[in-house]
Amino acid sequence: MKINLTKYSLVGIATLLALIIFVVPYSASIEYSLRGNFGKGHNLTNYYWFIHQDGFLSHLSLSLELGLLAGILNLLLMVPTATMLHLSLQRYKPIVDFICILPLMIPVVSLAVGAEYSMPSFIQNSQFELVFFFVILALPFTFRVLDSALSAVPLKTLVEASRSLGASWPSTIIRVVLPATRGGISSAFFLSFALGIGEYTMTSLLHWETFTTWTVVISQQNLLGSIALSTFSFLFAVALLVVIAIATSRRKIRKNSEIQLVEETV
Amino acid sequence: MSKGSELVITGISRSFGAVRALDQFSLTITPGELVCLLGPSGCGKTTALRIVAGLEKADSGSVFLDGEDLLAKDAAQRDIGMVFQSYSLFPNMTVAENISYGLKVRKHSKQKISQRVDEMLELVSLQSKINNFPHQLSGGQQQRVALARALAIEPRVLLLDEPLSALDAQVRTQIRDEIRRIQLESGTTTLFVTHDQEEAMAISDRVGVMQHGRLEQIDSPNTLYNKPATTFVAGFVGITNYIPSVVESKGEVQVLGQLLDISEHSQAVKKGEEVRAMVRPESIQIEKASHGPTVITKPFLGPMTRIGIDAGLKDLIYAELSSKDAKKFEMGDHVTVTIKTDSVMVSHA
Amino acid sequence: MNQRTVVPGSEKVRELGISGRKFSIPLPLLPFFIFVGYFLAWPITKVFIASLKSNDNKWTLSNYGPLLHGVYLHSFIVSIKIGLITALLGSIFGGLFAFVIDSYAGPRLTSVLDSISAVFANSGGVPLAFTFLASFGANAGLIKLLKRWGWDLYAEGFSIFSFTGICLVYIFFQAPLMVLVFKPALKGLRKEWREASTSLGGSNAMYLRKIAIPILFPSFVGSFLLLFAGGFSAFATASALTVGNVPLIPLVIGNLINGNVISNKTHLGASLAIGAIVIAFFAMSGYVWAQRKSTQWRK
Repeated sequence: MKINLTKYSLVGIATLLALIIFVVPYSASIEYSLRGNFGKGHNLTNYYWFIHQDGFLSHLSLSLELGLLAGILNLLLMVPTATMLHLSLQRYKPIVDFICILPLMIPVVSLAVGAEYSMPSFIQNSQFELVFFFVILALPFTFRVLDSALSAVPLKTLVEASRSLGASWPSTIIRVVLPATRGGISSAFFLSFALGIGEYTMTSLLHWETFTTWTVVISQQNLLGSIALSTFSFLFAVALLVVIAIATSRRKIRKNSEIQLVEETV
Repeated sequence: MSKGSELVITGISRSFGAVRALDQFSLTITPGELVCLLGPSGCGKTTALRIVAGLEKADSGSVFLDGEDLLAKDAAQRDIGMVFQSYSLFPNMTVAENISYGLKVRKHSKQKISQRVDEMLELVSLQSKINNFPHQLSGGQQQRVALARALAIEPRVLLLDEPLSALDAQVRTQIRDEIRRIQLESGTTTLFVTHDQEEAMAISDRVGVMQHGRLEQIDSPNTLYNKPATTFVAGFVGITNYIPSVVESKGEVQVLGQLLDISEHSQAVKKGEEVRAMVRPESIQIEKASHGPTVITKPFLGPMTRIGIDAGLKDLIYAELSSKDAKKFEMGDHVTVTIKTDSVMVSHA
Repeated sequence: MNQRTVVPGSEKVRELGISGRKFSIPLPLLPFFIFVGYFLAWPITKVFIASLKSNDNKWTLSNYGPLLHGVYLHSFIVSIKIGLITALLGSIFGGLFAFVIDSYAGPRLTSVLDSISAVFANSGGVPLAFTFLASFGANAGLIKLLKRWGWDLYAEGFSIFSFTGICLVYIFFQAPLMVLVFKPALKGLRKEWREASTSLGGSNAMYLRKIAIPILFPSFVGSFLLLFAGGFSAFATASALTVGNVPLIPLVIGNLINGNVISNKTHLGASLAIGAIVIAFFAMSGYVWAQRKSTQWRK
């Protein structure tokens, strides 16, 4: 009985706090965004408004494109790196670990300043310079995710088995390593993608206009509309990741129950 | 240091949802006795131990320690010592601090604590490691410290939850014998849980074999081996040959051409039914012959050799002979196979 | 764990690559190091050099002078304060959430909450600012409701566009970030330790005091420092929430390199950027120390 009291009071406090910090602002902004003009009633006019703004689609697609490229580049760079680190170059792991923490610590503004000072003009003139920096900014998250996905499987054993059976390196990577770390790879991709489409600091300091900076400009014009926009992007991101989470966990739960079944019959 | 207490467990039942982990489990451990609960994963042995420890609740039943109702007490008030399978030493404390933890809880004086720590380290022969941290010790050393920590508080009951399962084979034997030696020296009533039957048989006063939440038989190791009460116990303890046979009549079974009695603890079978006769390898006698069953394997196990014979059945038949006697048989030799006992246990095929 | 199993082909791999006197980088890791070198190390190095140059391209330390007093020092202090306060609040709330989730949530719920934490931890900027504007701004439903109940927050001087407002908003991403970085440390607390403590007669309090807290403390400090760095250098949310009334270093730097000011101040922007990095460097060293401490007892 004593334990139950602690449990309920802790869960209660945590839920209450979570409600205040997260749910209240969220629901308030949803309510706000649904307000009609001149404070009369609630409807979806604000949502219609921003969708019909000039540049909505063009900026949205630009952000999506940049995010996609960032995700792909991130994988191209980090999957081989992380894999090699795990397989045979473990000595370098602490250094890479440290480097991947840096983007969390180094203020993005400072990096932006650095970008202005260091990037040659042909890079600075293309909006794709953002893609490179998005990759850097996503490093802490993607490396960590890839690293734990690689640790979860007996990677060395699998690779050695594949190689001893005669498979070449590329074949091993495609047919053994990638499927085994599928979950980590997709998480890493989505993290860099999400970061790419939501990034503001780098974009605005380097004077580019993506969806995020465009919304700031637009919001000067219509407060309600921009609140609707903000709420929309929030809900979208959360829904996307929750769906991914449920899909991945369902796979994991199914796998776990299969393992249990095997254990019971043994 | 004789601290023998009597532990009386009566009618404990525990279910987890639809799964019945323990079903009317009862056991009495006399003062100073070491009883082992033996069984496969999921048989309920660990649940029973944890209920005595207070780390699990029982749905029904009672546990009395020297006449006191144990279930009415919190886990922390039960005056028991517990050794876990692994990783139970506090990593941020030295060996000395780990051992003195329970004593500090009981507010002993610094002097008394220091004295007791030294005593315990001497008991487990680890005096030199007194200021080391757990991660600096080997698995076997860690478990010895865990034992010392549990005994430091002079518990009335010592509970061990598969303490050797995580150790290397050779270390396992050493530590197992250490545990028995220390237990005899201190006279503490002990309940030991394991799935390794060799372990259980080697050190226990009595062994309780469990399956599906029930205690199938509890006896001395000798009795368990020679007079198993159920076919499960017979199969779980020691090595057994399962020889396909046919029931001749009520009470008799035809095995490899011999007519044998069906022992009383067998499963109920009908005339003409195909069953499995359970025969120990040491009850199988082989003689050289010109034709017939062939010797297939002959692994040398030290003083004994277990010869595997192909008699045209699905599995090999194993006969255990002294290595001296086994020398005259070579792989490929033909042999006759005779069963030396009069009665065998049978189970359904 | 220190077994050197040789993966076929790896020795050859190790030989190829760049070798210096003291270190060598094997071929497969080259892309990573080149990428990070060019897009991370090189920009920072350039900023550092720029901060040491004056307008007529001579080496000087004069750009660092303004950092030590006046407006810029004040901005640093305010930013540090924001970092500390939001890190403190974030780590306390986030720590509580992490504990509750770890102890009581089932696997599916945990997955969902992990993802939500990831989204919230990365939120910021205008969407976040406007969400809070909607809920705590002058026209928000909640505020109007409180006014009806007699509590007029705005009359008392509260505003979302203030130091307090920023702290409130920052918690929205600091707490989830804490959950993300601290929850794994909680998982490292083995249940055998708790059970062993109980079986030896230890109370909950004793377990917490002697085992759980000492073991968790380094991770907690490390996470706190991570939150501090984030709170100190947040730009997007800060720029959305202030109209120049709260002096924050990221905003100051942003203004300077946006060319809003006269060009001879751009080198100042560089020195400010380096100053920010120095602060972050201290946080980072603390973090590395904490990481090492938290695994010292593991084999």
